[in-house]
Amino acid sequence: MMKINVTTRVARRIIPVLAALWLLASCGAPQPPQLEGATLLQPDRRLAEFSLVDHHGEAFTQDALKGHWSLAFFGYTHCPDVCPNALGMLKRVQSLLEARGEPLPRVLFVSVDPERDTPQTLAAYVGYFHPSFVGITGQDAQLQRLTRQLGILYGRAPGGEGDGYLVDHSAAIILFNPEGHYQALFNVPHDPQRIARDFLAIRDWYEASR
Amino acid sequence: MKQPLRHFLLLLCLALAGPVAAADIEIHDAWIREAPPGAPMLAGYLCVLNRGQTPATLTGVTSPRFAHVMMHRTETRDGVARMRHLAEVTLDPGRQECFAPGGMHLMMPAPEQPLRAGDQVELTLHFADGDSRRVVAAVRTP
Ligand SMILES: [Cu+2]
Repeated sequence: MMKINVTTRVARRIIPVLAALWLLASCGAPQPPQLEGATLLQPDRRLAEFSLVDHHGEAFTQDALKGHWSLAFFGYTHCPDVCPNALGMLKRVQSLLEARGEPLPRVLFVSVDPERDTPQTLAAYVGYFHPSFVGITGQDAQLQRLTRQLGILYGRAPGGEGDGYLVDHSAAIILFNPEGHYQALFNVPHDPQRIARDFLAIRDWYEASR
Repeated sequence: MKQPLRHFLLLLCLALAGPVAAADIEIHDAWIREAPPGAPMLAGYLCVLNRGQTPATLTGVTSPRFAHVMMHRTETRDGVARMRHLAEVTLDPGRQECFAPGGMHLMMPAPEQPLRAGDQVELTLHFADGDSRRVVAAVRTP
C-alpha cells in the first residue's frame, strides 16, 4: 500500500514535467514527417547556379524549379530497361496523387548523355510517358554543376551497339521543393505507393513549417 | 549380348546422358517493351526453363527484326544502375532463369520500322550444344 502511494506521488510530479517538455519540443516546429523510404534533407539545400535546356529548347536554370514541387530522375534514352521503368513508375505516382485530388509534382527526366540526347530526342521520349513530363539536357559541364550538388553520379562505360557506349548512373529520384531547393531523395527500390505517401508527408510538413 | 539389344541400350544411354535436347528447354512469357517514339534501343524479356538432366547454356539470341540482340544484366550497386553484357547464361537442371525489368534483358537497336504494341517478333535462342529454339515475342507496354 505504502509502495503504491510513493509511486503514484512520483508519477504525479513527473508526468506534468514530461508533458511540459513534450509541449516545448513540439510547439517550435512541426515534427519531421514519418517516412517510409525517402531521405529528408534538413535543412533543405539551396542550389548554386546551373544552366541547362528543356525539351522545348528553353533555358532551364535553378529558377525554373521555383513555384512547384518537382521529382527528377537522371537517365538517358539509350537505356531501354531502368529508365522506362523509372518513368513508368513516376507516371504511376502521379496517377495515385491525381486519384486523391492532390496537385501533381512536376516530373523531370534529366539526360546524363547530353552528347546523344538533344531536346528533340527528349521531347518525343518524355512525351510518350506523359505530356507534362519535362526532358532536360545541356552541356556536360553544366549538367555536372547540377548533379554534383545532388550527389548524382554518372559516367560512361564500354558496351552498347557498335562503337557506342553505355552510361552508368545513379538511380535515385530527387525531390525539389517550391523554393527550388533540394528537399529529399528517394533511393531504390522504388515503389509508387510509398513514394506518393512520402511525398505527401513531406509536402504537408513543409507547408506546416512555413 | 545380342546386337539389337546393344544398339537399344546405347541409344537409351545417349538419350539419358546426352546433351540437353531443345525439347528439354521451355521458353515462355517472351515480350518486348514498347518504346517511346525515336528511342534508339529496345528491351525484351522472357523466361527459360531447363527441364533436362544436365546444364544448358544460352549463348546468344538472334532475330530477323534486329541487326543484333545483346544479352544484358542491369545491376544496381550503391545506388548506381549499370548495364553489363552477358556472354552466356547457364541454366542448371530444373532451373528457370527469367529476363525481367530491372534485371537481365535482351537489348536491341530499334528497327527503322518502329514496333508498336500488338506487333509480334520472332526471336531465336541459341545454346552451346548447337541447339536453337524459336519463340514469338509480343510487343506491349509493361
Ligand atoms: Cu541493356
